[in-house]
Amino acid sequence: MYSWEMLSFNIHDGFLEAIVRGNRSGLLTAADYNNLCQCETLDDIKMHLSATEYGPYLQNEPSPLHTTTIVEKCTLKLVDEYKHMLCQANEPLSTFLQYITYGHMIDNVVLIVTGTLHERDVNELLEKCHPLGMFDSIASLAVAQNMRELYRLVLVDTPLAPYFSECITSEDLDDMNIEIMRNTLYKAYLEDFYKFCAKLGGATADIMCNLLSFEADRRAVNITINSIGTELTRDDRRKLFSNFGLLFPYGHEELAVCEDVDQVRGVMEKYPPYQSIFAKISYGESQMLDKAFYEEEVRRLCLSFEQQFHYAVFFAYMRLREQEIRNLMWISECVAQNQKNRVHDSVVFIF
Amino acid sequence: MAGRANIPANSSALIAIIADEDTVTGFLMAGVGNVDLRKKTNYLLVDNKTTVKQIEDAFKEFTAREDIAIVLISQYIANMIRFLVDSYNKPIPAILEIPSKDHPYDPANDSVLSRVKYLFSADSVASDRR
Amino acid sequence: MSGQSQRLNVVPTVTMLGVVKARLIGATRGHALLKKKSDALTVQFRAILKKIVATKESMGEAMRASSFSLAEAKYVAGDGVRHVVLQSVRSASLRVRSHQENVAGVKLPKFSHFVDPAGGASGGPSGASPSLTGLARGGQQVSACRTAHVKAIEVLVELASLQTSFLTLDEAIKTTNRRVNALENVVKPRLENTITYIKGELDELEREDFFRLKKIQGYKRREIERQMIEAKKFAEEQLAEDLALKRGISMGAATNILVGGGDKDDDIIF
Repeated sequence: MYSWEMLSFNIHDGFLEAIVRGNRSGLLTAADYNNLCQCETLDDIKMHLSATEYGPYLQNEPSPLHTTTIVEKCTLKLVDEYKHMLCQANEPLSTFLQYITYGHMIDNVVLIVTGTLHERDVNELLEKCHPLGMFDSIASLAVAQNMRELYRLVLVDTPLAPYFSECITSEDLDDMNIEIMRNTLYKAYLEDFYKFCAKLGGATADIMCNLLSFEADRRAVNITINSIGTELTRDDRRKLFSNFGLLFPYGHEELAVCEDVDQVRGVMEKYPPYQSIFAKISYGESQMLDKAFYEEEVRRLCLSFEQQFHYAVFFAYMRLREQEIRNLMWISECVAQNQKNRVHDSVVFIF
Repeated sequence: MAGRANIPANSSALIAIIADEDTVTGFLMAGVGNVDLRKKTNYLLVDNKTTVKQIEDAFKEFTAREDIAIVLISQYIANMIRFLVDSYNKPIPAILEIPSKDHPYDPANDSVLSRVKYLFSADSVASDRR
Repeated sequence: MSGQSQRLNVVPTVTMLGVVKARLIGATRGHALLKKKSDALTVQFRAILKKIVATKESMGEAMRASSFSLAEAKYVAGDGVRHVVLQSVRSASLRVRSHQENVAGVKLPKFSHFVDPAGGASGGPSGASPSLTGLARGGQQVSACRTAHVKAIEVLVELASLQTSFLTLDEAIKTTNRRVNALENVVKPRLENTITYIKGELDELEREDFFRLKKIQGYKRREIERQMIEAKKFAEEQLAEDLALKRGISMGAATNILVGGGDKDDDIIF
């Protein structure tokens, strides 16, 4: 199977893989991060970044820089790269690339729905949407008053339509439901993406399924921890877990009944890949869990570059860039707020 | 006395905020935000598109509203409308200048704190002065 | 001082003196009382000053902590979380309550914050119950951020009441001191001046009276003396006349008769 893939892969996707691998070498290295961590002001950061691929995006920014500006510009670069890749892509790579953005799309839909619920200005809302998750009819989302209308008027034309079938039952939109809706959608999205990747087969399926399983498991753990002490019932919690991944199905059953962090830990330690993550965190502390997960994710994403002729590099690249933007945001926040001793707490080195 | 008459015995009042996006977000998370039926908010989000006029208007509106007890204003924004802040002398609503993360707090600019500092250093002289 | 030349426009009488004296006593007592009040306020004022400085510093700390926790939340939950928060505002769950505190007759407003359970149900992220914001990622950071901001609000509310007290007290102290000064420098000197004026005036009246009496006395004495002299003169004349009568004819008449008779009187019979 692999040999067959190697024969035909470069016909359609060789160029883009070359591009993405080229882009990957543009990611900031540990040396860059070390330099950035030494910065005293945001202008210093800008200076350091101007030597990297972010340079052209930041060079025209006037001097009183804000963290948000830096993040915005960096995101813009990511979006530009993504659009470039999408333009060049053939089927089924183009579909794959679009799948990557569905997560943002879900966030945007939820944002607009929330805004509409509180009767905010639609244009104002559109400005705040993530550029990766834009679709044509997004502005008309605002007219919808309940789930059924939302689906019938707008979402039926978007790729998100199938995901809504699960949560269309809830008629009324309130804040609680919206958050549940977001997670239900995301769950459906992950499952769909998983199926799509499995269908592609070959190395893509191999690596992507691994990555998506990790994502699903991480979500399950996070949802469990974050819903402790909230009004979310066990059954609801269970429903938000994606139906694949290492934890599926027995781990999910156990997670669904967890009442505190240590119980979650007990469940997770039964799974060898996650044992190492939880081993890093001391008992009773859950704050560092996110970082541990991010580190593990980055490790896995980097590994995907070790193989050739598969689509997971695109996914990995997008995710790594996002992580990089998060890192940059963290560093600039720390610099802006004069909390330099905390810089190393959350930066995840990519290489 | 100015302070005596207009202390409302209101059982619940709001905290108004004029600050940058992050500060506002944080305080809204804490549950300070309020939007009434006419979609009037008790906060003003100041970004680089906000004009000084808007800030002035918001400040005047917040200080005139009866249901607001405290107005929090980022210091760098307060500096933009310093003349208004300085000329404001009613005890309620109380104006508080808060630091924002992009702009480190400068006690010298705080109208109240500078008075406090002045009185503090002039404390020994104060008794003679009076 | 300007007050020294001033005095009340009164008729200088003994009754008025009594009235003014009573007013002076009143003013002195009032002055003492106000002075005490001013001292009490100043004590309070200084305590508040110290607290304000301390709270301002802790506010810096709290604000730093809270904005940093927001950065943490944004790092984990993504930048989008702030839009979610901004969009889901409905009604405030964290409100302040104001009540008054009485310090030496000055009403100081005090704020205290409380969580309004009515507002807590709506408005997404609220203080009442942990919401589901950032359920899939960063929920803990979001709630940590919320706690940090609630703490910051606590400090800010405290600071607000201190600051309001500061302004009110400042105003009150100024008024009180103005009154003290007015009593001390204007009212009391004026009353004192009036008293001295009345006293002086009364003294003068007395002196005038005395002088007048003296004058009248002198006049009377002079008159008596004059009368005495007159009387003496009269008595002397009387005496001389008496003497002449005793001689039968007055000397004058005698001469007259002699002179007249010798010149013109021709029908004299004898």
